[in-house]
Amino acid sequence: MVRIDFNRLRFLVIDDNAHMRRILRTLLHGFGTREVYEAEDGAAGLEAFTHYSPDIVITDWAMPIFDGLELTQMIRQPGANNNPHVPIIMLTGHSEKKRVIAARDAGVTEFLAKPISAKALYQRVLNVVANPRPFIRTRSYFGPDRRRNANPNYVGPERRKGGKADIIQQQPLLEKAGVTGPGR
Amino acid sequence: MKDKKKDDRAAVSTFADHEVIVPPNKLKKAVQKIKPGEKIPFDPVERAEAALAELAADFSVWMNQECARLDAARHAVKASGVTAGNRDVLFRAAHDIKGQAATFGYPLVAPVADSLCRLIEHTPEVARLPLRLVDQHVDAVRAIVHKNTRGDVGKYASELAQKLRQVTDEFLLRENRDRPDTLETILGPSLVP
Repeated sequence: MVRIDFNRLRFLVIDDNAHMRRILRTLLHGFGTREVYEAEDGAAGLEAFTHYSPDIVITDWAMPIFDGLELTQMIRQPGANNNPHVPIIMLTGHSEKKRVIAARDAGVTEFLAKPISAKALYQRVLNVVANPRPFIRTRSYFGPDRRRNANPNYVGPERRKGGKADIIQQQPLLEKAGVTGPGR
Repeated sequence: MKDKKKDDRAAVSTFADHEVIVPPNKLKKAVQKIKPGEKIPFDPVERAEAALAELAADFSVWMNQECARLDAARHAVKASGVTAGNRDVLFRAAHDIKGQAATFGYPLVAPVADSLCRLIEHTPEVARLPLRLVDQHVDAVRAIVHKNTRGDVGKYASELAQKLRQVTDEFLLRENRDRPDTLETILGPSLVP
């Protein structure tokens, strides 16, 4: 059995509603966290993400400027920031299947539907801290593995090709172009 | 099939059409194993619930502020006509109430706010948003909040919510009859209670 030392985790809470930010801050402090940073929209959230380097991001979906889904897509862009693997918990009033799938496909780590409860929030944090999932990169997706469990009885078509990649060695462009210069 | 692995770098396994990346576990520092019989200093969930309970005195004020915000958004839409901008403001006000009402101690308000969110979100053309039905939703939210402490509010609130949802769904089904994707969303079940 494990417990989480919240005192060692830094959170970034992004929600345009001040009441919800206060509730989240209260719950996280109750868990034992000291460092909770806040932002009130997606743009401010992205800036705070870069500035504070949080361990875990909790974001709302429906926000002005750009929303939680767009924020997730921006964070998950490889090379765009120092930590594209950061766990992102989407806390939202949306609960339709289509929305949950869209959040998953944007790279959200955990989905938490409002109304919020201390227990549900704790469970999501426990999941991302104690049971981190590997990341998958395909041509159209970069984010946490969307397969939470391996189903030994699955009989449908296999969408991921298991063979090793064909790696084609590329000649560096500069060599290809025959560029020479100092030190070459 | 690990190609590279260092403590501070992700381990990447490359396959034909995808890569499996195991990032360094930076959060391992926060995981503490509990030995059998070891006493846990406090239950974090209980302590968080207690902290939230201390905020509860403010919840009725907050709920009234959210209602006032919804009311103002409704009046803005009616005063200048529906635009994409003021519709979004109205939607966010309703959506926040849907998500927060139960936390604030007003669970009966959430279904009405949910119905209003559906109405705003799934009305395909901005100009077709039925303002009378919007009014009825906003008035219902305010009435249920206002009468929340009355003993019989539950029965009336449930009936009101059901009726509004029924009228909303009938309108949305008509408006979206040629949009199978939207119809699927409207008729599809919620994944959470």
